[in-house]
Amino acid sequence: MDTFYTDLLCVGAGLAGERVAVAAAAGGFDSICLSIVPPRRSHSSAAQGGMQASLGNCCMGQGDCPDVHFADTVKGSDWGCDQEVARLFAETAPIAVREMAFWGIPWNRVVPGKSIYYKAGKQYEKVEAAERSGAIAARDFGGTAKWRTCYTSDGTGHTLLYTMDNEVVRLGVTVHDRVEALALIHDGITCMGVVARCLKTGKLRAYLGKATLIATGGYGKLYRESTNAVINWGDGAAVALDTGLVPIGNPEAVQFHPTGIVPTNILVTEGCRGDGGTLKDVNEERFMNIYEPAKQELASRDVVSRWMTHHIRIGKGVPSAYGPHLWLDIRHLGAQHIKTKLREVEEICNEFLDRDPITQLIPVRPAQHYSMGGVRTDKDGAAYGLKGLYAAGEAACWDLHGFNRLGGNSLAETIVAGRIVGEKIVEYLEGRQTEFKTSVVRQAVNREQERIEGLIGSTGKENVYELRAAMGDVLMDRVGIFRNQADLQGAVEKLQVLYDRSKKLGLRSTSVHGANPELGTALRLPGMVRLALCIAYGALTRTESRGAHAREDYPERNDRDWLKRTLAYWKNEGDPLPVLEYEKPSTVWQMPPGERGYGSTRIICSEDTEICIPKPETN
Amino acid sequence: MSGGVTMGRTLKFNIFRFNPEDPASAPRMDAYFLEETEAMTLFIALNRIREEQDPALMFDFMCRAGICGSCAMMINGRPDLACHTKTKNLPAEITLMPMPVFKLVGDLSVDTGTWFRAMNEKVQSWIHTAKRFDPGQEEERMDNALAEEIYEMERCIECGCCVAACGKANMVPENFMGAAAFNRIARFMIDPRDERNNDEYFEVVGNEDGIFGCLGLLGCEDTCPKNIPLQDELGMLRRKMGFSQVKHLFRALLPGKKMA
Amino acid sequence: MMADETISRVGPDRTEAYLDLLQMVTGVVLVAFMWAHMILVASVNLDLGGGRVMNVIARFFEATYMAQVGGPVIAAIMLAHFVFAARKLPFRAREQKAIWKHSLNFNHLDTWLWVIQAATAFIILIMGCIHMWTVLTSLPITAAKSARRIQGGWWLVFYLVLLPMIELHVGIGIYRIGVKWGFIKRAHRKALHRFENRLTLTMIGIGVVTLFTFLVLTKA
Ligand SMILES: Cc1cc2nc3c(=O)[nH]c(=O)nc-3n(C[C@H](O)[C@H](O)[C@H](O)COP(=O)(O)OP(=O)(O)OC[C@H]3O[C@@H](n4cnc5c(N)ncnc54)[C@H](O)[C@@H]3O)c2cc1C
Ligand code: HEM
Ligand code: HEM
Ligand code: SF4
Ligand code: F3S
Ligand code: FES
Repeated sequence: MDTFYTDLLCVGAGLAGERVAVAAAAGGFDSICLSIVPPRRSHSSAAQGGMQASLGNCCMGQGDCPDVHFADTVKGSDWGCDQEVARLFAETAPIAVREMAFWGIPWNRVVPGKSIYYKAGKQYEKVEAAERSGAIAARDFGGTAKWRTCYTSDGTGHTLLYTMDNEVVRLGVTVHDRVEALALIHDGITCMGVVARCLKTGKLRAYLGKATLIATGGYGKLYRESTNAVINWGDGAAVALDTGLVPIGNPEAVQFHPTGIVPTNILVTEGCRGDGGTLKDVNEERFMNIYEPAKQELASRDVVSRWMTHHIRIGKGVPSAYGPHLWLDIRHLGAQHIKTKLREVEEICNEFLDRDPITQLIPVRPAQHYSMGGVRTDKDGAAYGLKGLYAAGEAACWDLHGFNRLGGNSLAETIVAGRIVGEKIVEYLEGRQTEFKTSVVRQAVNREQERIEGLIGSTGKENVYELRAAMGDVLMDRVGIFRNQADLQGAVEKLQVLYDRSKKLGLRSTSVHGANPELGTALRLPGMVRLALCIAYGALTRTESRGAHAREDYPERNDRDWLKRTLAYWKNEGDPLPVLEYEKPSTVWQMPPGERGYGSTRIICSEDTEICIPKPETN
Repeated sequence: MSGGVTMGRTLKFNIFRFNPEDPASAPRMDAYFLEETEAMTLFIALNRIREEQDPALMFDFMCRAGICGSCAMMINGRPDLACHTKTKNLPAEITLMPMPVFKLVGDLSVDTGTWFRAMNEKVQSWIHTAKRFDPGQEEERMDNALAEEIYEMERCIECGCCVAACGKANMVPENFMGAAAFNRIARFMIDPRDERNNDEYFEVVGNEDGIFGCLGLLGCEDTCPKNIPLQDELGMLRRKMGFSQVKHLFRALLPGKKMA
Repeated sequence: MMADETISRVGPDRTEAYLDLLQMVTGVVLVAFMWAHMILVASVNLDLGGGRVMNVIARFFEATYMAQVGGPVIAAIMLAHFVFAARKLPFRAREQKAIWKHSLNFNHLDTWLWVIQAATAFIILIMGCIHMWTVLTSLPITAAKSARRIQGGWWLVFYLVLLPMIELHVGIGIYRIGVKWGFIKRAHRKALHRFENRLTLTMIGIGVVTLFTFLVLTKA
């Protein structure tokens, strides 16, 4: 078996993983990045709309600063985030954006003079100042007080990731693509690396690092309908959970994006609404202006998704062979705008819907989009439970997003957290000698080897793909946008049955040569179901509504009892359920809980004087 | 995913099968049949074949939205992204082959990762500058029109279609840089942040493996799923690289002058 | 070798750039020559009262020694062009197999154009040399002499083969120079390719008429 040694092992070569590797390389340390796909194909490349940083260059962003960005983020999170982290983030974001510009991103720039823009379907005029000409521009996104989202057309994630990988190539960072981490190697105290499977040869490998980073992205593909890429299975969270020592923070905080296209759930960016697109119903009438007079289409994602679901439920959806949906209208933005600032959207509509967004409406419906939860870390990115283990990006619960992430904040998170966590890892690595205990390594590898042999020789009858689909259905139908006791209880029970069944898998393809895709799915399925159980059980237990977690039977945000973060552990493989613990979301309360200014206003106030000035601020 | 109204056609898929890791495997074509459904793409079709008929079938998908470049393959002889290819635009018999030039991983899956990493190293795909990043400084200004021009070239998704479609790359798979590399060079050439001069670019592409090895076959231009203006970029590159050398020629020929 | 090292450090190896430029330049010169040649020969179709125009022009070229000198020069340029262009041709069996397989599977217009270019090149090389040898070793050129050759039958067949070969090669060649060097832009490629096709057909048409004229010249 091949064994690789390095200083920093990055599991994941998306934006977060690569940014950390770049920081390590800049600090003089070796790293190896593992990735299931070539790094530039990581899901970061699919992000379209943009990333937030309070540069305040354009006229609609004037007066923006980290304070405002911080406040927007905390409100967006429904006070579920770590405010210390949010502050750090808001302050670093402008530097991170400029650094990316320095490395080569072709950010869209301020064009001086008059131009028109649309908001909520109406046309307005703005004048950009000549002295800001050529500075990095920004567009409008949901839940923000200012235009703050820096962008390159609607390929922001793509340009960010390509530029980041250019740095990786320049610095000579090693990348092993088509390698999938299966398990962490640890002795109960320190993490030493991972056991991985090479997806070219099918062989197991050991990767040993003085520090290990989990940056495997989100776990949207647990759900049936998700905007995520097909490899977003949540491997990183699953292998961390699997240790029994590392908790998943806020697993129940799952974001649905308002505009997945029907039927394929491919995302069309929030930039569509940011640039003035509107949502319409079966009568081709707008409705967000009625439900949310202030922010209208640009309320935060959780809020818009809920109103859309509500609107469909009261019969205003457009019937189709794939169930009811609503319309997104960007026709009034005009061909010129669509062809330059929303060209991926145009392409997606033409290619996947046979529709021309310049003249036709786009069928949309909320779809799973983002996992706010993930491997719980402290503000340095160090995971709870194991020394030498870090996490960053969507895989982590650093906790910038709390119960709802703002659009544009997660691309920003990847490079900001990557920058900060990378520096912390360099500090950790300096002068560190890690002893890789061969017995521990061998044991970890043997365990995976036995799992593989067990599956190959299994006499089980359960079909991998059927179980995976069943899990996706349970989450989608019962742990979706609106949640309630009965559905969630049922979800937990069904998932437990699936978990048992996942131990009796039978493979039809028993080759041990090469990738064997069925074996790959079988190996990760139990971990996926465990993660799904964390989501469902976390949601069942949290009897309040906060951000994206909306309980029909507990519609209020309950700061008195629930201003706390879920920590889900899976202590033993045989356990039927995760163990849930809770912690306060932050030690820093620069912004006491209050109203968001959009969405529901039902709040049960906290009585904790440490976090709350007794009377909540309105506004 | 498999839901949807059937369209009345039974599709026949002839799919290349070979697992180079398995000593018992030999290259062959396998046939599969599927009822066509509404809005069916090759992404949907291949996943159904794997889940329902042949769980060993190897292929690559990621974004399933035409933006990550994972799923390029030869579809009835032409390279294209499988995920954005609708079956309704294809005949009832569909032949799927892995892309040539790239190393075969298995069945329809090829190793584009190694190839593109080498490409990026070869063209030194990064901004070359003597400056250092100063976190306290504002960003350098840039004209928005130029930013958009750079983005136009930056849109390449490294799918490899242009390489598979190139006769030259098929003839000399080990050496020829391919249109994606030329596009990348062109992208840095117009970027004022990159301080490389023409001679430095020439060092990278001014040779038989580079732009002067390109035969102008335009298979790249005609297949690029992102519609990158490869023809125009390659023309610009050949002109710049070719004509800029004429002055060196004159300098070398002029008596009394040292080559410098 | 110190000297070599210095040179290689001074600048990149520019050979390929020069060769590619020369390939283009010789190509353009040859195209210009071929069009001029075709028009000159076609002037046999015209009779402005003082006999065939072709005779007048031919006499002028010989009187000024342009044919005697120009002929070998053209021959030399053609040879040079062949040397420059042939370095792109696949001579190894593996490469030839690859390009055939690719062309057949891919079935793509511009790839076929190149294959045609390469194939016609070899025919032109051989036939062009035979033709030039014949004409240049039996100066002066007169319409009557040419007509006699063509009425012999074998030369008619010869030209009927060479004519489309050379016109295809010329037409495709000039179009390909346009796209390769970026003179023809994406926006105009289709239109210009159509134009090139028409031009090729027209030139072949004129050539056929010319051959017919030669065939019937003295008989008429
Ligand atoms: C369609 C879409 C659009 C979006 N648009 C925006 C936007 O406009 N603005 C914004 O801010 N955010 C956006 N987001 C969110 C944002 O793109 C992601 O949250 C972010 O890019 C995640 O980056 P990452 O580095 O954490 O993970 P990823 O980019 O997903 O990278 C994960 C990496 O981990 C690797 N990996 C996974 N599992 C394993 C394993 N077991 N072993 C080894 N490697 C593994 C993968 O190969 C990959 O390299 C969007 C998300 C989606 C889905
Ligand atoms: C009078 C006769 C000829 C004319 C007018 C002519 C013209 C041209 C032109 C314009 C091109 C395109 C050049 C380029 O792409 O840079 C070309 C290409 C080519 N020519 Fe000729 N040529 C002639 C004779 C020949 C001969 C005798 C050969 C030798 C066998 C030859 C071989 C080639 C080849 C192989 C190419 C393709 C190269 C390429 O396009 O990359 N040509 N020719
Ligand atoms: C400088 C050299 C050349 C001279 C002086 C010359 C002269 C002539 C003459 C006199 C004819 C009339 C027919 C005949 O007499 O047999 C002719 C015809 C022809 N030549 Fe040439 N030629 C030259 C070079 C070439 C070359 C290089 C080619 C192509 C490779 C070529 C292709 C032809 C063809 C195809 C015809 C038939 C014309 C038609 O059908 O209109 N010639 N040439
Ligand atoms: S240039 Fe086009 S075809 Fe080539 S790799 Fe890039 S996107 Fe694919
Ligand atoms: S197909 Fe190949 S030969 Fe040149 S024009 Fe494109 S790279
Ligand atoms: S799967 Fe991403 S381009 Fe096809």
